[in-house]
Amino acid sequence: MLSVSPREERADALVSRREYVRVEGLGKSFGPHRALDDINFAVRSGEVVAIIGPSGSGKSTLLRCLNQLETQSEGSVTLAGITIDAAKPATRQQLTELRRSAGMVFQSFNLFPHMSVLRNVSLPQERVLGRSRKEADERSRALLSRVGLEAKADQYPNRCSGGQQQRIAIARALALDPKIMLFDEPTSALDPELGLEVLAVMQELAEAGMTMIVVTHEMHFAETVSDRIIIMADGRIIEEGPSAEVMRRPTTERAQRFLNAVKNR
Amino acid sequence: MTLDAVLLIASGIPLTLAVTAGAFALGAVLGIPLCALRVSRSSTLHLAAVAIIMLLRSIPPIVWLFLLYFGIGSGFLRVGPVEASVAALGLITAANMAEIYRGALRGVHSGQWEASTALGMKPWARFRDVLAPQICRMALPSSVTFFIGLLKDSAIASTIGVGEIAFQANYISRRTFEGLEVFAVAGLVYILISLPIAAMSRQLDSRLRERVAQ
Ligand SMILES: Nc1ncnc2c1ncn2[C@@H]1O[C@H](COP(=O)(O)OP(=O)(O)O)[C@@H](O)[C@H]1O
Ligand SMILES: [Mg+2]
Repeated sequence: MLSVSPREERADALVSRREYVRVEGLGKSFGPHRALDDINFAVRSGEVVAIIGPSGSGKSTLLRCLNQLETQSEGSVTLAGITIDAAKPATRQQLTELRRSAGMVFQSFNLFPHMSVLRNVSLPQERVLGRSRKEADERSRALLSRVGLEAKADQYPNRCSGGQQQRIAIARALALDPKIMLFDEPTSALDPELGLEVLAVMQELAEAGMTMIVVTHEMHFAETVSDRIIIMADGRIIEEGPSAEVMRRPTTERAQRFLNAVKNR
Repeated sequence: MTLDAVLLIASGIPLTLAVTAGAFALGAVLGIPLCALRVSRSSTLHLAAVAIIMLLRSIPPIVWLFLLYFGIGSGFLRVGPVEASVAALGLITAANMAEIYRGALRGVHSGQWEASTALGMKPWARFRDVLAPQICRMALPSSVTFFIGLLKDSAIASTIGVGEIAFQANYISRRTFEGLEVFAVAGLVYILISLPIAAMSRQLDSRLRERVAQ
């Protein structure tokens, strides 16, 4: 399960794939504070993009603009064919479709504490896709076994370890059949060992062809699993390219400084 | 003191419970929109809610009761004593429940609303399936404490002739001049009603805590 696919071959194949995400001139201000400034990039179907950078550089804000948890101040976001422009407020239907296409996994898991693990995964399917309870439960059990947690279906989330909770959160997002998965530091709240079991699930997902944008501090994951790395600092993209190149030969001085800092930690 | 007297006091229990439950139900429902206004981002709505809550809470219950019963009740609208009591105590309850809900809302992690939004759940589903159950769970202990307080406050309904526990006790003590004994029995009745409610809430609370403690 953990073998790494030859990424150079994959990168060639990617060129012909459909674009799933396009971000153009994206900017976001919180009052006078500039959190994002003129962000441009695209992600093709099946591609795995890692976003790294110092804390406060706008990585979370960028992800949150992609599924409109935050509305951008300038520019546009196109995700799975739905374009949302800062100039024009999104319609409710656009937001529903956008969020259905993008699954999101948070640093703090955010499972619903008052529902069993199975309900956590099934409820959104019933409310968002209109699946019957039986259909939803079937799908939930299949996904829980995919992340190795079928046995936890009837437990409450607080009876599960952090690593297990994060894998349940991944199953919950996958249950809506998203076209793309957004991860915001999914392992930052976990002990290294528990982080590994989450990373293994993510790697398996990447190998199965899921399109993913992963904000992470795990340099090993960024280098070995992702096709491309974007480095952010001060609300801007300062470096972008194939993972191995960015990690070994960053072109900007700011990116070199950041990479040296994390590698020497 | 005779058994008849004790039974007469006990005969006030249904009205005590009715006024308390009615006022609590009214307040628990009206407290929801009031809380929504209170946490609204619009400063006009927010200030209006703060003013309403302050007004409801800073005037003594008995003044509200007389205001509704003799003020409105004697004029263009006919209001019975039970209805006036439920309305007066219900309004005060609404202000208190709004604040209890607000505290509970703050206790629910902001990630819950975000996660359900990111999953594409509609606002109503987010509220009903994700927020409301957690708010209720958080608000349970303070709500029960308030309910038991309300049970005792419902005694003011006796002042406008609602035949509840305190009214019956007052009636007997005036006829028999056994004030101390009569009111001691009345007090005991209030305690006997409160105890099982408190016990039930504690049990429910610990069961919920065991299951979903964060
Ligand atoms: N809701 C908000 N209100 C005000 N400032 C915010 C908000 N969210 C983020 N910021 C600011 O925007 C900047 C980028 O934050 P964030 O996207 O969380 O960075 P990162 O995820 O890279 O650590 C930070 O300076 C942060 O303080
Ligand atoms: Mg962040």
